[in-house]
Amino acid sequence: MEHVKMLDEHKTVMLLVNSQLYNETILEIVQELSQKKVCYISLNKTRDSLIDLFSKKGVNVNNIGFIDAITKTIMDYPDETENCTYISSPGALTELAIAITKFLKLGFDYLIFDSLTNLLIYQKRAPIEKFMSNLINKIRNTETRAIFCALGVQEQQLLLEQCGMFVDNVVDNSKMVK
Amino acid sequence: MAKTVMVVDDDPEVNESITALLEGNGYATISANSGDDCLEMLKSMAPDLILLDIMMPGTPAKEIINKIKGIKIIFLSGVKMSEHQKSELLKGNIVDFIQKPFDIDDFTNKIKTILGDD
Repeated sequence: MEHVKMLDEHKTVMLLVNSQLYNETILEIVQELSQKKVCYISLNKTRDSLIDLFSKKGVNVNNIGFIDAITKTIMDYPDETENCTYISSPGALTELAIAITKFLKLGFDYLIFDSLTNLLIYQKRAPIEKFMSNLINKIRNTETRAIFCALGVQEQQLLLEQCGMFVDNVVDNSKMVK
Repeated sequence: MAKTVMVVDDDPEVNESITALLEGNGYATISANSGDDCLEMLKSMAPDLILLDIMMPGTPAKEIINKIKGIKIIFLSGVKMSEHQKSELLKGNIVDFIQKPFDIDDFTNKIKTILGDD
């Protein structure tokens, strides 16, 4: 229960992972944390594909609430379905912030942010930093513990360094190999 | 005359490598680095096929697709979608999905089949 321990020790953690191990790591995190209530924010996979993946791996998806910022970019979809809020785009930071705030009020034990890296496709660094700072401050006022996943890539070093200052701990596993 | 494929991807390296691959297989290529660029270019040119990355800044893929008429589109996707969602999307001029990263042989075979060059 490596990630549970990580979040027991620090309320907000940024986890840097390399691309080879990224999906595997995300799955491990979800498997561990979904023993309790989890809010999963996805900026790179649709909620349906995550449900498929998690169900196949024996994850209790009933414990997970999703914020899906992908599905509505590719197809018409309602704003909400059971356990999921759909955002128009990963770059819609205000919309995303509103959805997260709403989820935080529901008392989730954990929040998984997948991933910080994807935000830079859609937004400039400055608004992302502001968004992250505000979000982490909001999280501090709740019981929710949060893990922010990111690819530890050189091109995003400035953003990662800045956001690393907002969280309680940065775990850099980006050099880890199988 | 060589058939023309438009590659729309905001990652210049991906764009470059796909166009090189297509040109190596005898296709003419056009590059666009965003959906908005793609729409602008389509005002003056008509490729036979568009390879469209789903995750790009600017106008969402959904709106780009709605504006493209009469040209086959393949989604290039790093995004994980369920089989159900893929089948929902495969209508109109969207003819296939290619998940990134992809196998080069599978990729070229798919393009050739869709363009009737197999």
